[in-house]
Amino acid sequence: MDAVAVRRYLAAYRVCLRIAVRQATTYRASFLLSSVITLVGNLAFPLVTVLIYGSGAGFPGWTADEVLLIQSVFTLSAGLSGLVLGGVVFVTMDRVREGTLEIVLLKPVRPLPFIVLTTLQPESAGVALGGAVLLGWAASRSVHAVSVTGVLSFVGLFLAGLCVMAGMSLVMAATSFRWVGNSRLPEIADSTRTFGRYPLAIFPRAVQSVVTFVVPVGMVGFFPASALLGRSVPGMWPAAATCVAFLGFGVWLYHHQIRHYQGVGG
Amino acid sequence: MTALPLVRQWEVMRAVSVVTYKEWAAYRTHSLVSVFVGPVYFVVQYFIWTAVYGGAGTLHGLELTQMIRYFGAATLIGYLTMDFADWNLSMLVRTGRYLTFALRPLHHRFFALSQKVGHRALGFLFEFLPCLLIFVLLFRVDMRPASAGWLLVTVALAFLMGFYVRYCLGLASFWLVDARGLQGVVAILSGLFSGTLIPLVFFPHWLQVLQFFLPFQYMLYVPAMVFTGSYSLGSTHLSIPQVVGCQAAAVVVMFLLSEVLYRAATRRFTDSGS
Repeated sequence: MDAVAVRRYLAAYRVCLRIAVRQATTYRASFLLSSVITLVGNLAFPLVTVLIYGSGAGFPGWTADEVLLIQSVFTLSAGLSGLVLGGVVFVTMDRVREGTLEIVLLKPVRPLPFIVLTTLQPESAGVALGGAVLLGWAASRSVHAVSVTGVLSFVGLFLAGLCVMAGMSLVMAATSFRWVGNSRLPEIADSTRTFGRYPLAIFPRAVQSVVTFVVPVGMVGFFPASALLGRSVPGMWPAAATCVAFLGFGVWLYHHQIRHYQGVGG
Repeated sequence: MTALPLVRQWEVMRAVSVVTYKEWAAYRTHSLVSVFVGPVYFVVQYFIWTAVYGGAGTLHGLELTQMIRYFGAATLIGYLTMDFADWNLSMLVRTGRYLTFALRPLHHRFFALSQKVGHRALGFLFEFLPCLLIFVLLFRVDMRPASAGWLLVTVALAFLMGFYVRYCLGLASFWLVDARGLQGVVAILSGLFSGTLIPLVFFPHWLQVLQFFLPFQYMLYVPAMVFTGSYSLGSTHLSIPQVVGCQAAAVVVMFLLSEVLYRAATRRFTDSGS
Protein backbone atom coordinates (compact mmCIF):
# COMPACT_ATOMS: atom_id res chain seq x y z
CA MET A 1 0.00 0.00 0.00
CA ASP A 2 1.59 3.34 -1.05
CA ALA A 3 1.50 6.68 0.78
CA VAL A 4 -1.42 7.98 -1.27
CA ALA A 5 -3.51 4.94 -0.42
CA VAL A 6 -2.66 5.29 3.27
CA ARG A 7 -3.75 8.95 3.18
CA ARG A 8 -7.00 7.94 1.47
CA TYR A 9 -7.71 5.31 4.10
CA LEU A 10 -6.96 7.76 6.92
CA ALA A 11 -9.34 10.28 5.37
CA ALA A 12 -11.98 7.55 5.05
CA TYR A 13 -11.32 6.57 8.68
CA ARG A 14 -12.03 10.13 9.83
CA VAL A 15 -15.29 10.21 7.88
CA CYS A 16 -16.38 6.80 9.15
CA LEU A 17 -15.52 7.74 12.73
CA ARG A 18 -17.61 10.89 12.44
CA ILE A 19 -20.53 8.89 11.01
CA ALA A 20 -20.25 6.25 13.74
CA VAL A 21 -20.25 8.87 16.50
CA ARG A 22 -23.23 10.67 14.94
CA GLN A 23 -25.15 7.43 14.57
CA ALA A 24 -24.45 6.56 18.18
CA THR A 25 -25.48 9.97 19.48
CA THR A 26 -28.74 9.89 17.50
CA TYR A 27 -30.03 7.40 20.07
CA ARG A 28 -28.20 8.88 23.05
CA ALA A 29 -30.01 6.96 25.78
CA SER A 30 -29.45 3.64 24.00
CA PHE A 31 -25.80 4.57 23.37
CA LEU A 32 -25.18 5.51 27.00
CA LEU A 33 -26.96 2.43 28.31
CA SER A 34 -25.10 0.03 26.02
CA SER A 35 -21.80 1.76 26.88
CA VAL A 36 -22.47 1.36 30.60
CA ILE A 37 -23.60 -2.27 30.19
CA THR A 38 -20.49 -3.13 28.19
CA LEU A 39 -18.29 -1.38 30.75
CA VAL A 40 -19.91 -3.07 33.76
CA GLY A 41 -19.68 -6.44 31.96
CA ASN A 42 -15.94 -5.92 31.55
CA LEU A 43 -15.51 -4.91 35.19
CA ALA A 44 -16.87 -8.23 36.47
CA PHE A 45 -13.40 -9.80 36.61
CA PRO A 46 -11.86 -6.96 38.68
CA LEU A 47 -14.84 -7.30 41.01
CA VAL A 48 -14.07 -10.99 41.49
CA THR A 49 -10.47 -10.04 42.30
CA VAL A 50 -11.69 -7.54 44.91
CA LEU A 51 -13.95 -10.21 46.44
CA ILE A 52 -11.12 -12.78 46.55
CA TYR A 53 -8.71 -10.38 48.26
CA GLY A 54 -11.55 -9.12 50.46
CA SER A 55 -11.86 -12.63 51.85
CA GLY A 56 -8.24 -12.50 52.99
CA ALA A 57 -6.92 -14.73 50.20
CA GLY A 58 -5.05 -13.78 47.03
CA PHE A 59 -2.57 -14.76 44.36
CA PRO A 60 0.84 -15.55 45.90
CA GLY A 61 3.33 -12.72 45.27
CA TRP A 62 0.71 -10.31 43.96
CA THR A 63 -1.20 -7.64 45.85
CA ALA A 64 -4.82 -6.84 45.00
CA ASP A 65 -3.78 -3.53 43.39
CA GLU A 66 -1.21 -5.28 41.19
CA VAL A 67 -3.77 -7.82 39.95
CA LEU A 68 -6.24 -4.99 39.36
CA LEU A 69 -3.52 -3.26 37.33
CA ILE A 70 -3.29 -6.33 35.06
CA GLN A 71 -7.07 -6.40 34.68
CA SER A 72 -7.31 -2.66 34.04
CA VAL A 73 -4.73 -2.93 31.24
CA PHE A 74 -6.77 -5.82 29.85
CA THR A 75 -9.98 -3.75 30.03
CA LEU A 76 -8.34 -0.76 28.32
CA SER A 77 -7.03 -3.04 25.57
CA ALA A 78 -10.45 -4.69 25.15
CA GLY A 79 -12.09 -1.24 24.88
CA LEU A 80 -9.66 0.10 22.29
CA SER A 81 -9.70 -3.04 20.15
CA GLY A 82 -13.50 -3.23 20.43
CA LEU A 83 -13.73 0.37 19.24
CA VAL A 84 -11.87 -0.40 16.02
CA LEU A 85 -12.41 -4.11 15.41
CA GLY A 86 -15.41 -5.01 17.55
CA GLY A 87 -17.78 -5.11 14.60
CA VAL A 88 -15.59 -7.03 12.16
CA VAL A 89 -16.53 -10.50 13.42
CA PHE A 90 -20.30 -10.00 13.44
CA VAL A 91 -20.44 -8.00 10.21
CA THR A 92 -18.34 -10.57 8.35
CA MET A 93 -20.40 -13.37 9.86
CA ASP A 94 -23.70 -11.71 8.90
CA ARG A 95 -22.59 -10.87 5.37
CA VAL A 96 -21.33 -14.42 4.80
CA ARG A 97 -24.57 -15.91 6.14
CA GLU A 98 -26.78 -13.53 4.16
CA GLY A 99 -24.63 -13.82 1.04
CA THR A 100 -24.13 -10.06 0.80
CA LEU A 101 -20.35 -9.88 1.05
CA GLU A 102 -20.05 -9.32 -2.70
CA ILE A 103 -21.47 -5.85 -2.13
CA VAL A 104 -18.17 -5.16 -0.36
CA LEU A 105 -16.04 -7.23 -2.72
CA LEU A 106 -17.28 -5.28 -5.76
CA LYS A 107 -16.15 -1.94 -4.34
CA PRO A 108 -12.80 -0.54 -5.56
CA VAL A 109 -11.30 -0.84 -2.06
CA ARG A 110 -9.61 -3.56 -0.05
CA PRO A 111 -12.41 -5.50 1.72
CA LEU A 112 -10.80 -5.81 5.15
CA PRO A 113 -10.00 -2.10 5.69
CA PHE A 114 -13.43 -1.22 4.32
CA ILE A 115 -15.22 -3.54 6.79
CA VAL A 116 -13.05 -2.27 9.64
CA LEU A 117 -13.82 1.35 8.77
CA THR A 118 -17.55 0.85 8.45
CA THR A 119 -18.03 -1.16 11.64
CA LEU A 120 -16.51 1.09 14.28
CA GLN A 121 -18.17 0.60 17.67
CA PRO A 122 -18.24 3.88 19.62
CA GLU A 123 -19.91 2.22 22.63
CA SER A 124 -16.61 0.43 23.33
CA ALA A 125 -15.21 3.88 24.18
CA GLY A 126 -16.93 3.46 27.57
CA VAL A 127 -14.93 0.31 28.23
CA ALA A 128 -11.70 2.02 27.17
CA LEU A 129 -12.49 5.00 29.41
CA GLY A 130 -13.39 2.73 32.34
CA GLY A 131 -10.19 0.74 31.79
CA ALA A 132 -8.12 3.94 31.69
CA VAL A 133 -9.66 5.21 34.94
CA LEU A 134 -9.10 1.85 36.65
CA LEU A 135 -5.55 1.76 35.27
CA GLY A 136 -4.81 5.20 36.71
CA TRP A 137 -6.28 4.22 40.08
CA ALA A 138 -4.51 0.85 40.28
CA ALA A 139 -1.20 2.31 39.04
CA SER A 140 -1.33 5.08 41.65
CA ARG A 141 -1.59 2.42 44.37
CA SER A 142 0.79 -0.21 43.02
CA VAL A 143 3.48 1.52 40.92
CA HIS A 144 5.88 3.05 43.43
CA ALA A 145 8.66 4.23 41.12
CA VAL A 146 7.85 5.24 37.55
CA SER A 147 10.81 5.01 35.19
CA VAL A 148 11.03 6.15 31.57
CA THR A 149 12.10 2.64 30.59
CA GLY A 150 9.13 1.17 32.42
CA VAL A 151 6.65 3.50 30.71
CA LEU A 152 8.20 2.94 27.27
CA SER A 153 8.16 -0.83 27.84
CA PHE A 154 4.53 -0.59 28.94
CA VAL A 155 3.57 1.32 25.78
CA GLY A 156 5.44 -1.10 23.52
CA LEU A 157 3.98 -4.19 25.17
CA PHE A 158 0.51 -2.65 25.32
CA LEU A 159 0.64 -2.06 21.56
CA ALA A 160 1.74 -5.67 21.13
CA GLY A 161 -1.28 -6.70 23.22
CA LEU A 162 -3.52 -4.69 20.90
CA CYS A 163 -2.03 -6.68 18.00
CA VAL A 164 -3.16 -9.88 19.76
CA MET A 165 -6.68 -8.57 20.30
CA ALA A 166 -6.88 -7.51 16.65
CA GLY A 167 -5.39 -10.79 15.47
CA MET A 168 -7.94 -12.81 17.46
CA SER A 169 -10.84 -10.78 16.02
CA LEU A 170 -9.56 -11.40 12.51
CA VAL A 171 -9.03 -15.12 13.13
CA MET A 172 -12.61 -15.41 14.41
CA ALA A 173 -13.94 -13.38 11.47
CA ALA A 174 -11.96 -15.55 9.07
CA THR A 175 -13.37 -18.68 10.70
CA SER A 176 -16.88 -17.45 9.96
CA PHE A 177 -16.21 -18.02 6.23
CA ARG A 178 -16.03 -21.76 6.96
CA TRP A 179 -18.20 -22.11 10.08
CA VAL A 180 -21.11 -20.19 8.62
CA GLY A 181 -23.60 -18.36 10.83
CA ASN A 182 -22.16 -19.44 14.18
CA SER A 183 -22.83 -16.43 16.38
CA ARG A 184 -20.94 -18.11 19.23
CA LEU A 185 -17.55 -17.84 17.55
CA PRO A 186 -16.48 -14.80 19.63
CA GLU A 187 -16.93 -16.93 22.77
CA ILE A 188 -13.91 -18.97 21.69
CA ALA A 189 -11.75 -15.83 21.60
CA ASP A 190 -13.25 -14.50 24.85
CA SER A 191 -12.52 -17.72 26.74
CA THR A 192 -8.94 -17.90 25.42
CA ARG A 193 -8.28 -14.27 26.36
CA THR A 194 -9.23 -15.00 29.98
CA PHE A 195 -5.70 -16.28 30.59
CA GLY A 196 -4.41 -12.74 30.01
CA ARG A 197 -6.38 -11.32 32.95
CA TYR A 198 -4.29 -13.01 35.67
CA PRO A 199 -0.65 -13.31 36.75
CA LEU A 200 0.82 -15.96 34.45
CA ALA A 201 2.69 -17.54 37.36
CA ILE A 202 -0.54 -19.18 38.58
CA PHE A 203 -0.62 -21.36 35.44
CA PRO A 204 1.64 -24.37 34.76
CA ARG A 205 4.70 -23.76 32.57
CA ALA A 206 3.15 -25.43 29.52
CA VAL A 207 0.14 -23.10 29.67
CA GLN A 208 2.44 -20.11 30.24
CA SER A 209 4.39 -21.02 27.10
CA VAL A 210 1.23 -21.35 25.01
CA VAL A 211 -0.24 -18.01 26.13
CA THR A 212 3.14 -16.32 25.62
CA PHE A 213 4.36 -17.69 22.31
CA VAL A 214 1.51 -19.51 20.55
CA VAL A 215 -1.67 -17.57 21.26
CA PRO A 216 0.02 -14.69 23.11
CA VAL A 217 -2.96 -13.49 25.18
CA GLY A 218 -0.60 -12.98 28.13
CA MET A 219 0.46 -9.82 26.33
CA VAL A 220 -3.00 -8.27 26.60
CA GLY A 221 -2.85 -7.63 30.33
CA PHE A 222 -0.09 -9.41 32.20
CA PHE A 223 3.10 -8.38 30.36
CA PRO A 224 2.37 -4.62 30.00
CA ALA A 225 1.30 -4.43 33.66
CA SER A 226 4.47 -6.27 34.73
CA ALA A 227 6.58 -3.74 32.80
CA LEU A 228 4.83 -0.87 34.53
CA LEU A 229 5.42 -2.51 37.89
CA GLY A 230 9.10 -2.90 37.07
CA ARG A 231 8.87 -6.69 37.14
CA SER A 232 11.04 -8.30 34.52
CA VAL A 233 9.48 -11.38 32.96
CA PRO A 234 11.66 -13.68 30.83
CA GLY A 235 10.56 -13.86 27.20
CA MET A 236 8.73 -10.54 27.31
CA TRP A 237 10.17 -9.01 24.14
CA PRO A 238 10.32 -12.17 22.01
CA ALA A 239 6.66 -12.58 22.94
CA ALA A 240 5.99 -9.04 21.66
CA ALA A 241 7.41 -10.07 18.29
CA THR A 242 5.10 -13.10 18.36
CA CYS A 243 2.14 -10.73 18.84
CA VAL A 244 2.97 -8.81 15.66
CA ALA A 245 3.32 -12.12 13.82
CA PHE A 246 -0.05 -13.18 15.27
CA LEU A 247 -1.71 -10.06 13.84
CA GLY A 248 -0.04 -10.77 10.50
CA PHE A 249 -1.43 -14.29 10.64
CA GLY A 250 -4.93 -12.91 11.33
CA VAL A 251 -4.75 -10.57 8.33
CA TRP A 252 -3.40 -13.34 6.09
CA LEU A 253 -6.04 -15.81 7.25
CA TYR A 254 -8.86 -13.31 6.65
CA HIS A 255 -7.71 -12.62 3.09
CA HIS A 256 -7.13 -16.31 2.48
CA GLN A 257 -10.62 -17.28 3.69
CA ILE A 258 -12.31 -14.59 1.58
CA ARG A 259 -11.46 -16.79 -1.40
CA HIS A 260 -13.76 -19.44 0.00
CA TYR A 261 -16.71 -17.07 0.13
CA GLN A 262 -19.64 -18.16 -2.01
CA GLY A 263 -22.61 -15.94 -2.81
CA VAL A 264 -25.29 -15.63 -5.43
CA GLY A 265 -25.25 -11.91 -6.01
CA GLY A 266 -26.46 -10.54 -2.66
CA MET B 1 -58.31 -18.99 27.44
CA THR B 2 -59.26 -22.33 28.97
CA ALA B 3 -56.46 -24.65 30.01
CA LEU B 4 -55.78 -27.67 27.84
CA PRO B 5 -56.27 -31.13 29.38
CA LEU B 6 -53.07 -32.58 30.80
CA VAL B 7 -52.70 -35.27 28.12
CA ARG B 8 -53.19 -32.68 25.38
CA GLN B 9 -50.61 -30.40 27.04
CA TRP B 10 -48.13 -33.26 27.08
CA GLU B 11 -48.75 -33.92 23.37
CA VAL B 12 -48.30 -30.24 22.54
CA MET B 13 -45.11 -30.00 24.59
CA ARG B 14 -43.70 -33.12 22.97
CA ALA B 15 -44.53 -31.90 19.47
CA VAL B 16 -43.11 -28.40 20.00
CA SER B 17 -39.97 -29.62 21.74
CA VAL B 18 -39.27 -32.25 19.06
CA VAL B 19 -39.67 -29.66 16.30
CA THR B 20 -37.44 -27.21 18.19
CA TYR B 21 -34.86 -29.93 18.72
CA LYS B 22 -34.84 -30.74 14.98
CA GLU B 23 -34.69 -27.05 14.07
CA TRP B 24 -31.64 -26.40 16.27
CA ALA B 25 -30.04 -29.76 15.51
CA ALA B 26 -29.36 -28.33 12.04
CA TYR B 27 -26.86 -26.08 13.85
CA ARG B 28 -25.62 -28.68 16.32
CA THR B 29 -21.98 -27.85 15.65
CA HIS B 30 -22.72 -24.40 17.12
CA SER B 31 -23.40 -26.10 20.44
CA LEU B 32 -20.02 -27.75 20.19
CA VAL B 33 -18.40 -24.34 20.80
CA SER B 34 -19.27 -25.09 24.43
CA VAL B 35 -17.03 -28.16 24.32
CA PHE B 36 -14.09 -25.77 23.92
CA VAL B 37 -15.33 -22.74 25.86
CA GLY B 38 -16.66 -24.57 28.95
CA PRO B 39 -13.47 -26.55 29.69
CA VAL B 40 -11.28 -23.48 29.00
CA TYR B 41 -13.16 -21.37 31.55
CA PHE B 42 -13.09 -24.30 33.96
CA VAL B 43 -9.33 -24.72 33.58
CA VAL B 44 -8.82 -21.01 34.29
CA GLN B 45 -11.00 -21.27 37.40
CA TYR B 46 -9.10 -24.39 38.47
CA PHE B 47 -5.73 -22.62 38.38
CA ILE B 48 -7.09 -19.42 39.90
CA TRP B 49 -8.54 -21.17 42.91
CA THR B 50 -5.61 -23.56 43.30
CA ALA B 51 -3.34 -20.50 43.54
CA VAL B 52 -5.75 -18.58 45.78
CA TYR B 53 -6.15 -21.42 48.25
CA GLY B 54 -2.40 -22.03 48.51
CA GLY B 55 -2.11 -23.68 51.89
CA ALA B 56 -5.46 -22.43 53.16
CA GLY B 57 -7.85 -25.16 54.25
CA THR B 58 -11.12 -23.37 53.66
CA LEU B 59 -12.38 -20.03 52.36
CA HIS B 60 -15.84 -18.99 53.51
CA GLY B 61 -16.42 -22.58 54.57
CA LEU B 62 -15.52 -24.03 51.16
CA GLU B 63 -12.60 -26.40 50.67
CA LEU B 64 -10.61 -26.33 47.42
CA THR B 65 -12.07 -29.62 46.18
CA GLN B 66 -15.56 -28.34 46.95
CA MET B 67 -14.78 -25.13 45.04
CA ILE B 68 -13.57 -27.07 41.99
CA ARG B 69 -16.67 -29.24 42.12
CA TYR B 70 -18.79 -26.10 42.45
CA PHE B 71 -17.40 -24.60 39.23
CA GLY B 72 -17.68 -27.93 37.41
CA ALA B 73 -21.31 -28.26 38.46
CA ALA B 74 -22.05 -24.59 37.67
CA THR B 75 -20.69 -25.02 34.13
CA LEU B 76 -22.71 -28.18 33.48
CA ILE B 77 -25.93 -26.92 35.09
CA GLY B 78 -25.64 -23.79 32.94
CA TYR B 79 -25.89 -25.99 29.84
CA LEU B 80 -29.10 -27.57 31.12
CA THR B 81 -30.82 -24.34 32.13
CA MET B 82 -29.59 -21.81 29.56
CA ASP B 83 -32.44 -19.69 28.24
CA PHE B 84 -33.21 -16.98 25.71
CA ALA B 85 -36.99 -16.80 25.96
CA ASP B 86 -36.64 -13.02 26.43
CA TRP B 87 -34.90 -12.62 23.10
CA ASN B 88 -37.47 -14.77 21.30
CA LEU B 89 -40.47 -12.97 22.78
CA SER B 90 -38.93 -9.52 22.15
CA MET B 91 -38.37 -10.46 18.53
CA LEU B 92 -41.97 -11.65 18.16
CA VAL B 93 -43.35 -8.44 19.67
CA ARG B 94 -41.03 -6.14 17.73
CA THR B 95 -41.77 -7.76 14.38
CA GLY B 96 -45.49 -8.18 15.06
CA ARG B 97 -45.24 -11.93 14.66
CA TYR B 98 -46.59 -12.35 18.17
CA LEU B 99 -50.03 -11.95 16.56
CA THR B 100 -49.87 -15.50 15.22
CA PHE B 101 -49.43 -16.73 18.79
CA ALA B 102 -52.17 -14.50 20.18
CA LEU B 103 -54.57 -16.22 17.77
CA ARG B 104 -53.62 -19.75 18.81
CA PRO B 105 -55.59 -21.68 21.47
CA LEU B 106 -52.39 -22.06 23.45
CA HIS B 107 -50.72 -19.99 26.17
CA HIS B 108 -47.56 -18.54 24.59
CA ARG B 109 -45.59 -19.14 27.78
CA PHE B 110 -46.33 -22.86 27.53
CA PHE B 111 -45.25 -22.85 23.90
CA ALA B 112 -41.99 -21.05 24.82
CA LEU B 113 -41.35 -23.48 27.70
CA SER B 114 -41.83 -26.41 25.30
CA GLN B 115 -39.33 -24.81 22.94
CA LYS B 116 -36.85 -24.56 25.78
CA VAL B 117 -37.30 -28.26 26.59
CA GLY B 118 -36.38 -29.16 23.00
CA HIS B 119 -33.51 -26.72 22.85
CA ARG B 120 -31.99 -27.88 26.10
CA ALA B 121 -32.40 -31.54 25.11
CA LEU B 122 -29.97 -30.63 22.35
CA GLY B 123 -27.77 -28.87 24.92
CA PHE B 124 -27.81 -32.03 27.03
CA LEU B 125 -26.45 -34.11 24.14
CA PHE B 126 -24.00 -31.68 22.57
CA GLU B 127 -22.87 -29.54 25.53
CA PHE B 128 -23.59 -31.23 28.85
CA LEU B 129 -22.50 -34.79 28.05
CA PRO B 130 -19.23 -33.95 26.21
CA CYS B 131 -18.19 -31.47 28.93
CA LEU B 132 -19.12 -33.93 31.69
CA LEU B 133 -16.89 -36.53 30.04
CA ILE B 134 -14.05 -34.01 29.70
CA PHE B 135 -14.33 -32.99 33.36
CA VAL B 136 -14.45 -36.58 34.61
CA LEU B 137 -12.08 -38.38 32.24
CA LEU B 138 -9.60 -35.64 31.34
CA PHE B 139 -9.57 -33.34 34.39
CA ARG B 140 -10.35 -36.14 36.88
CA VAL B 141 -12.93 -34.03 38.73
CA ASP B 142 -15.27 -35.91 41.02
CA MET B 143 -18.62 -35.03 39.45
CA ARG B 144 -20.72 -37.37 41.59
CA PRO B 145 -23.51 -35.34 43.24
CA ALA B 146 -24.05 -35.49 46.97
CA SER B 147 -27.65 -36.51 46.30
CA ALA B 148 -28.76 -37.41 42.78
CA GLY B 149 -32.46 -37.13 43.64
CA TRP B 150 -32.27 -33.64 45.11
CA LEU B 151 -29.99 -32.58 42.28
CA LEU B 152 -32.60 -33.58 39.69
CA VAL B 153 -35.28 -31.61 41.56
CA THR B 154 -33.17 -28.48 42.02
CA VAL B 155 -31.94 -28.48 38.40
CA ALA B 156 -35.55 -28.83 37.20
CA LEU B 157 -36.52 -25.87 39.40
CA ALA B 158 -33.52 -23.86 38.15
CA PHE B 159 -34.64 -24.69 34.61
CA LEU B 160 -38.08 -23.23 35.36
CA MET B 161 -36.72 -20.25 37.30
CA GLY B 162 -34.40 -19.27 34.45
CA PHE B 163 -37.28 -19.57 32.03
CA TYR B 164 -39.75 -17.47 34.06
CA VAL B 165 -37.18 -14.73 34.67
CA ARG B 166 -36.30 -14.53 30.99
CA TYR B 167 -39.94 -14.71 29.96
CA CYS B 168 -40.82 -11.78 32.25
CA LEU B 169 -37.95 -9.86 30.66
CA GLY B 170 -39.34 -10.65 27.23
CA LEU B 171 -42.75 -9.38 28.36
CA ALA B 172 -41.12 -5.98 28.96
CA SER B 173 -41.07 -5.64 25.16
CA PHE B 174 -44.82 -4.94 25.27
CA TRP B 175 -44.01 -1.68 27.09
CA LEU B 176 -40.54 -0.75 25.83
CA VAL B 177 -39.62 0.10 22.25
CA ASP B 178 -36.27 -1.60 22.72
CA ALA B 179 -35.89 -3.95 25.69
CA ARG B 180 -32.26 -4.84 24.97
CA GLY B 181 -30.97 -2.35 27.54
CA LEU B 182 -33.09 -3.90 30.29
CA GLN B 183 -32.09 -7.38 29.16
CA GLY B 184 -28.43 -6.36 29.26
CA VAL B 185 -28.77 -5.01 32.81
CA VAL B 186 -30.48 -8.19 34.02
CA ALA B 187 -27.87 -10.33 32.22
CA ILE B 188 -25.11 -8.57 34.18
CA LEU B 189 -26.98 -8.86 37.48
CA SER B 190 -27.65 -12.51 36.72
CA GLY B 191 -23.99 -13.11 35.90
CA LEU B 192 -22.91 -11.57 39.19
CA PHE B 193 -25.60 -12.82 41.54
CA SER B 194 -26.27 -16.29 40.17
CA GLY B 195 -22.82 -17.40 41.28
CA THR B 196 -21.36 -17.95 37.81
CA LEU B 197 -18.19 -15.95 38.47
CA ILE B 198 -17.69 -16.62 42.16
CA PRO B 199 -19.69 -18.36 44.91
CA LEU B 200 -22.06 -15.90 46.54
CA VAL B 201 -20.54 -16.44 50.01
CA PHE B 202 -17.68 -14.16 48.89
CA PHE B 203 -20.01 -11.16 48.62
CA PRO B 204 -20.52 -8.72 51.52
CA HIS B 205 -23.02 -10.01 54.10
CA TRP B 206 -25.82 -7.60 53.18
CA LEU B 207 -25.58 -8.58 49.50
CA GLN B 208 -25.77 -12.25 50.46
CA VAL B 209 -28.92 -11.64 52.48
CA LEU B 210 -30.40 -9.67 49.57
CA GLN B 211 -30.02 -12.73 47.33
CA PHE B 212 -32.81 -14.53 49.22
CA PHE B 213 -35.21 -11.96 47.75
CA LEU B 214 -33.82 -11.95 44.20
CA PRO B 215 -34.32 -14.78 41.68
CA PHE B 216 -30.70 -15.15 40.57
CA GLN B 217 -29.27 -17.54 43.17
CA TYR B 218 -32.07 -20.02 42.44
CA MET B 219 -30.90 -20.24 38.81
CA LEU B 220 -27.38 -21.53 39.50
CA TYR B 221 -25.94 -21.07 43.00
CA VAL B 222 -28.57 -23.20 44.72
CA PRO B 223 -28.33 -26.20 42.33
CA ALA B 224 -24.51 -25.99 42.32
CA MET B 225 -24.43 -26.00 46.14
CA VAL B 226 -26.97 -28.84 46.26
CA PHE B 227 -24.56 -30.73 44.01
CA THR B 228 -21.73 -30.18 46.52
CA GLY B 229 -23.99 -31.24 49.39
CA SER B 230 -24.13 -28.15 51.59
CA TYR B 231 -25.72 -24.73 51.38
CA SER B 232 -24.83 -21.54 53.18
CA LEU B 233 -25.54 -17.89 52.42
CA GLY B 234 -25.67 -14.76 54.56
CA SER B 235 -24.64 -16.71 57.67
CA THR B 236 -27.72 -18.92 57.14
CA HIS B 237 -27.14 -22.65 56.87
CA LEU B 238 -29.98 -24.58 55.31
CA SER B 239 -30.35 -28.31 54.80
CA ILE B 240 -30.72 -29.48 51.20
CA PRO B 241 -34.50 -30.12 51.51
CA GLN B 242 -34.94 -26.67 53.08
CA VAL B 243 -33.06 -24.79 50.37
CA VAL B 244 -34.80 -26.73 47.58
CA GLY B 245 -38.09 -25.86 49.28
CA CYS B 246 -37.12 -22.17 49.23
CA GLN B 247 -36.21 -22.54 45.57
CA ALA B 248 -39.59 -24.13 44.79
CA ALA B 249 -41.39 -21.27 46.57
CA ALA B 250 -39.37 -18.73 44.58
CA VAL B 251 -40.28 -20.51 41.34
CA VAL B 252 -44.00 -20.35 42.23
CA VAL B 253 -43.70 -16.60 42.96
CA MET B 254 -41.91 -16.06 39.65
CA PHE B 255 -44.56 -18.10 37.82
CA LEU B 256 -47.34 -15.98 39.32
CA LEU B 257 -45.48 -12.78 38.44
CA SER B 258 -45.08 -13.97 34.86
CA GLU B 259 -48.82 -14.66 34.65
CA VAL B 260 -49.72 -11.20 36.01
CA LEU B 261 -47.31 -9.56 33.56
CA TYR B 262 -48.54 -11.75 30.69
CA ARG B 263 -52.17 -10.72 31.24
CA ALA B 264 -51.23 -7.03 31.48
CA ALA B 265 -48.99 -7.32 28.40
CA THR B 266 -51.52 -9.02 26.14
CA ARG B 267 -54.03 -6.23 26.92
CA ARG B 268 -51.48 -3.76 25.52
CA PHE B 269 -50.69 -5.70 22.37
CA THR B 270 -51.73 -4.09 19.09
CA ASP B 271 -50.91 -5.22 15.58
CA SER B 272 -52.16 -4.48 12.10
CA GLY B 273 -52.08 -8.07 10.89
CA SER B 274 -48.54 -8.14 9.57
